Amino acid sequence: MLGIENVASYIPERKIDNLEQADKFGADREFVEKKIGVLKLPRLSEDESVAYACVEAFKALSEKGGVELEEIDCLVVCTQNPDRDGLPHNSAILHAELGLKDECACFDIGLGCSGYVYGLSIIESFMQANGLKRGLFFTCDPYSRILDPEDKNTCLLFGDAATVTLISDSPKYVKAGAKFSTRGAGREALEKVDGKLAMNGRAVFNFALMDVPKQIKSLLESQELDVASIDLFLLHQGSRFMLENTIKRAGIPSDKAPIELSETGNTVSSSIPILLEKRIRDLPGLVLMSGFGVGLSWASAIYKQNS
Amino acid sequence: MQREEAIKIVIEVLEDNVQDLEMSDDKMDETLVDIGVDSLDVMLVMMDIQEKSGVKISDDKADELDTPNKIVDFILGN
Repeated sequence: MLGIENVASYIPERKIDNLEQADKFGADREFVEKKIGVLKLPRLSEDESVAYACVEAFKALSEKGGVELEEIDCLVVCTQNPDRDGLPHNSAILHAELGLKDECACFDIGLGCSGYVYGLSIIESFMQANGLKRGLFFTCDPYSRILDPEDKNTCLLFGDAATVTLISDSPKYVKAGAKFSTRGAGREALEKVDGKLAMNGRAVFNFALMDVPKQIKSLLESQELDVASIDLFLLHQGSRFMLENTIKRAGIPSDKAPIELSETGNTVSSSIPILLEKRIRDLPGLVLMSGFGVGLSWASAIYKQNS
Repeated sequence: MQREEAIKIVIEVLEDNVQDLEMSDDKMDETLVDIGVDSLDVMLVMMDIQEKSGVKISDDKADELDTPNKIVDFILGN
C-alpha cells in the first residue's frame, strides 16, 4: 500500500509586512489581522523560480532522512503558475535539477487550492498502477506572479511557498477514502484575466461555506464515520474568516482544525501540506484534509495511520 | 411572513454574526457599516438571511441592502 511517508516545505525568507501593506491600501489593520488573519506574506524573489523553491523543499525533506535520489521513480508537480509557462513541464526541469535517473515518471498537475488532495490521489494511483515505489509530490503556486498590485483583496491574502511529500510503500498515512467535486459554471469566481488574478470574494466565500461542509459530511458518511471520529481536520488555509466559518458550519470543534496562516498567507496547494508537516510526527489516527478553490474545485480525503 | 418575524430573523442573524453587536430599535435604520458590520460580516449575514428567510439575495441586491430595515423590507417583498 502506498501513502504519505514524510512532508517538507520551503517558505521564502523574503516577506511582506501585511500591516504595512494594509496601510498602503488604506485598509484597517485590525481587519487584516483578525479577519484575513495574515501578518506576513512570503514572496519568491525575482530570481527564485518554481524549480528553485521545489529544490529547497526537497533539501528540507532530505535533512529529515530516508530519501535516496536513485530510488525516486516518480515526480509530480502541482502548479498553475509554472516556470517557462509550463513548457517544458516543470517536473522535467525539477528532474534535471535533482539529478534523477531516466527511469522516473514525471508530469505536472494544473490545479489550485484543491491540488494537494487531488494530487495525492493521482500520484498514489499512478504509482500503484505502474508498480512504482518512491515518488515525490511537489506543490508550488507563486500567486505573487499574477497579483494585480492595485487589488487589495488578493494582495493582502496570497503568499508563496513550496512543499514536497514523499510517497512510498512504507507510509505513515494511507488513504481511507476521498470525494472530488467541480462546478465549472462558477469558475469566474477565481480566474486569470489579462494575466492578473481576479477574485470574486463573495462567490468564493459562499462556495466555501456552503459546499465544503457538505462534502466533508458526505465523505464521513461514506466511510461510516462522524466528526468525532476524526482526530485532525486540515482545511485549506484560505483566510481566517472563511476558515472559522467553514469549520463552524461543518460542526468541527475548533481545537481539531488548526488555523495557521498568519506567517504564510494563502499558499494555494501548499497550505495543507504545510500544516501536515508540523503534525506528521504526532501521528494522529485519522486525518481529514479538504482543499477548495479555483475551478471551482473541491476535494476531501481521509488518511489513516498505517498500522 | 409577518413583519415581526422578518425583524426577528434580521436581528438574530446580525447578533449571531457580528461580535459584540446588540441590536435595538434605533439601529434598524442605521447603515450596517455604522453598527459595526464589516465587508466580510456582510457576506455571512446575507448568507444566513437567505437560509433563514428562504429569499434569494443577488450580489447587486446585497450591496443595496445597507440597513437592517432595508433587509426586512426585502424579505417581506420577496
